[in-house]
Amino acid sequence: MSEVIVVTSGKGGVGKTTTTANIGTGLAAKGYKVVLVDADIGLRNLDVVLGLENRIVYDIVDVTSGNCRLRQALIKDKRLDGLHLLPAAQTKDKTAVSPDQMRDLCEELKKEFEFVIIDCPAGIEQGFRNAIAGAEKAVVVTTPEVSAVRDADRIIGLLEAAELREPKLIINRIRPRMVRQGDMMSIEDIIDILAVDLLGVIPEDEMIVITTNRGEAVVLDQNSKSGQAYRNITRRILNEDVPMMNLEDEGGFFKRFKKIIGLK
Amino acid sequence: MDYSRRGIQGNSVSGYVQGSPPDQDGLVDENTILVQRTLRSGQSIRYNGNVVVLGDVNPGAEVTASGNVIVMGALRGLVHAGAGGDENAVVLAFRLRPTQLRIANHITRPPDNEEVDADLPEMARIKDGVVTIEAFQAGGERQGR
Repeated sequence: MSEVIVVTSGKGGVGKTTTTANIGTGLAAKGYKVVLVDADIGLRNLDVVLGLENRIVYDIVDVTSGNCRLRQALIKDKRLDGLHLLPAAQTKDKTAVSPDQMRDLCEELKKEFEFVIIDCPAGIEQGFRNAIAGAEKAVVVTTPEVSAVRDADRIIGLLEAAELREPKLIINRIRPRMVRQGDMMSIEDIIDILAVDLLGVIPEDEMIVITTNRGEAVVLDQNSKSGQAYRNITRRILNEDVPMMNLEDEGGFFKRFKKIIGLK
Repeated sequence: MDYSRRGIQGNSVSGYVQGSPPDQDGLVDENTILVQRTLRSGQSIRYNGNVVVLGDVNPGAEVTASGNVIVMGALRGLVHAGAGGDENAVVLAFRLRPTQLRIANHITRPPDNEEVDADLPEMARIKDGVVTIEAFQAGGERQGR
């Protein structure tokens, strides 16, 4: 039984690509066969984040237009056996692929992989429609900023209109200290507006920048909180019941946190 | 009534008929549409009659009605009641926090530096030519109008 999950957000720069790379790496590290699809044609990034840029020969447009076979375009990760990447094209644009072609592509990938994870481009135009065309589940990434939450709300509305029900939410780059001082939107504030299930919360962490620039995934880093957060998200995708992580050492924040989980 | 199965165009519902404003005596018997979901950013409802939303109206969403607007949830978006010019139209919400609130040809927005966090149902209407917001009391002076 395989799943096709799209990672989307509306707004750019909130961490879609980082999240895609880490969820994929996390699942592959647990022994699953995973393929990551970069649907951001023209602005490809996922290969860079995974450190696989220099191995690209064929890309997603070559596959959909019949220039090569699917197997030729898939790139195997350098660390994990189960992880594969289908890179985006860099010299084409979003119109080079149609939603129907994406749907067929996802069906094809489902035969071979247990998880197909699609990195959606920012925006709500054709790139977004392509990315969600073949998806069965959606993960919406947001940050604790009003603009990102507004865009996430718009995206959730569009996902529902496209019959992708019950998207799951990841809140990225939260700073517990700022939330406590009332200078940043809290998890409750965001859930109050978006009214969707929380898949996980990732704290702001320098390790993300360090690992991303090295082409590694923070999910494999055992010492950082963000790595732990991504490991928890991976386990929740596998339907394990994992309690929300304590983002700081004091109790106050965690108690409020548990309240949200209790609401589910 | 699941309106989303009929007449949905893109992300908005349009039942609004351009033309003469409804006469005031017709208001009570006016058509009412029941929206059984939360309106998210970018979604809009336009209706010639009353609108009742069973859910929230989020920032970036719009509700326009020639009659009254009732939101059984948090109203954080843009709302326009009495869009045909009816100054008797009201807006009622469990949590009334609109980005902008319009009744007939009056346009208002919440004061910039005031954090009012009354957690009770409130009603906005035109009183002596000014849009006023007050706590909603069941059976108040002019219900049903």
